[in-house]
Amino acid sequence: MIRARGLGKRYGRSVVLEDLSFDVARGERVAVLGVNGAGKTTLFRCLLGLTAFDGSLEVDGETAGPAGIEVRGRIGYVPQLPPIFDLPLAAFLDLVSDMREIPRDRAVACLEELGLPLDAAGAKPLGELSGGMLQKAYLALALAAEAPVLLLDEPTASLDPGSRREFVRLLSRIDPGTTLLLASHRLEEIEPLTDRILVLHQGRLAFDGRLPELWAATAMDVRLWVGTPVAERARAAFEIGALPFVRRAEPNGAGVHVEAGSEWHLRVLLELEGRGLSTGEFRTHAPALEEVLERLIRPASAPTGAFR
Amino acid sequence: MSARPLVRRELHDAVRRWWFVANAGVLAVAGALLLLFGQNDAMLLGQRGYARALAGLMQLGLVFVPLTALVPSAAALAGERETGTLDYLLAQPVTRGSVYRAKWAGVTTAVVLSILVGLSITAAIAMLRGVPSGPTIALVACTALLAVAFVSIGTWISSLTASRTRATSFGLTVWVVLVGLGSLGVITAFVRWGAPAWVLQAWSLANPVEAYRMASLAILYPDLEMLGPVGASLIGALGRPGLVAASLASLAAWGAVGFAAGMTAFVRSAQSGEPRHGRAAS
Repeated sequence: MIRARGLGKRYGRSVVLEDLSFDVARGERVAVLGVNGAGKTTLFRCLLGLTAFDGSLEVDGETAGPAGIEVRGRIGYVPQLPPIFDLPLAAFLDLVSDMREIPRDRAVACLEELGLPLDAAGAKPLGELSGGMLQKAYLALALAAEAPVLLLDEPTASLDPGSRREFVRLLSRIDPGTTLLLASHRLEEIEPLTDRILVLHQGRLAFDGRLPELWAATAMDVRLWVGTPVAERARAAFEIGALPFVRRAEPNGAGVHVEAGSEWHLRVLLELEGRGLSTGEFRTHAPALEEVLERLIRPASAPTGAFR
Repeated sequence: MSARPLVRRELHDAVRRWWFVANAGVLAVAGALLLLFGQNDAMLLGQRGYARALAGLMQLGLVFVPLTALVPSAAALAGERETGTLDYLLAQPVTRGSVYRAKWAGVTTAVVLSILVGLSITAAIAMLRGVPSGPTIALVACTALLAVAFVSIGTWISSLTASRTRATSFGLTVWVVLVGLGSLGVITAFVRWGAPAWVLQAWSLANPVEAYRMASLAILYPDLEMLGPVGASLIGALGRPGLVAASLASLAAWGAVGFAAGMTAFVRSAQSGEPRHGRAAS
């Protein structure tokens, strides 16, 4: 569906993308990860033809670029910071629907499905909508276009945690046949939404594979945090840390932080219980992207496999 | 897939904002006052008095119309670029050229409509007072052509600038140079430096404000008064129809060249990079 070969982009002397090559199959859901400045937005701008680039980039066999109307017609796009048109929501919907020849009913239905009924919010200027509502409006239009490719550029970057969770829930309902490219710098966010990860670092492809492969390549994994009473915390950390499949366990806040493969998380909880250590709540969380990148780009810690 | 809805949006925005009504209102009120005062002259001077009243209207248009055309057109693309809305529009299945054309057509239609609304009221009063309809309609048409020329210049500026403020500043500078210096300062400088007559004639024809002034006066005044020495010398060289044709051709050329240059710059900015506006891509 998407084919990039030797993709490069410079702004003056600054190299933003360098020799990027990858393929994305139809219906595949790919996260594009990278810290700020890694080249994620520029990659999306190249796909949309908003900027010229070196190398070749194709979407569904059509060449992307400033003249690539066919490519833009195949892409639904939600920008990182949804721009605020000086229009009410209803007029904005009409403008984009008319430009893309989206039936108005379908656009209105998408808005309503995302919890933005036009009767209630249609007269509101975009500038008066909350960040979450604005993101939903842009997502609704991207979905209403029924484009085979959906580009979401850090769609939750400006949302509070509650809206972020809701937005992720909405994204999980996207038609399975849609090819999804989701730029993000939150590992925990992309896990339920995507089945492959491209990690960009300083404009180059640092990793291309699935999430478990990323954990394997970096000797990291989703982390487990188990709430334990203060009197048992040190013992729990010591005993769990001694288990052969646990890389590290240490007291953290009101519980114990455990680094182990996610397949061992249930076993950790059972071991704690088996040793008579009481467990309260537990939760998992992904390591920070910066930590992952640090391991990815440090050759000494690079085992094998999917490194580029 | 089309950028045509952008034309409707420009028109809608223009009507919703103050400048459309203000343009029409200022032209209608000022034009009506000029005609009513001009009527006293007309009673004494006959048609020449009405011509003077229309010439007063032309002077008003000469100062006012370039300004009202430059301000919204200079902001048309630069304002969208500044707020990030331009990227979103260009991310739709449309060409950069069609977005440019739609913005230009929308602003042109809005500016020309506001001028036509304002001047139509004045023209109606003029014709009711006995001013011949021919010169009145010709003046309105010249003024509309002047507006188109300045919308093209403004949109060209807009295609090259990153922010609404900067585009408006450039637009105002162009207005000062062409309106303020064009008619007085530059001619004085030419005379002082002893420039040959053809340079002065070429400059006057090349300046859209001067071209508008000469075309309007040549149409309004059969006896050539108020055309000034450059206009008179051009009449000598080209004849009255020639001067009118050359002046109108100059206005049309500014409209066409400004449009084409702006569109070329805008389309090429995808290759060379958009003017920077502080929203860094990563």
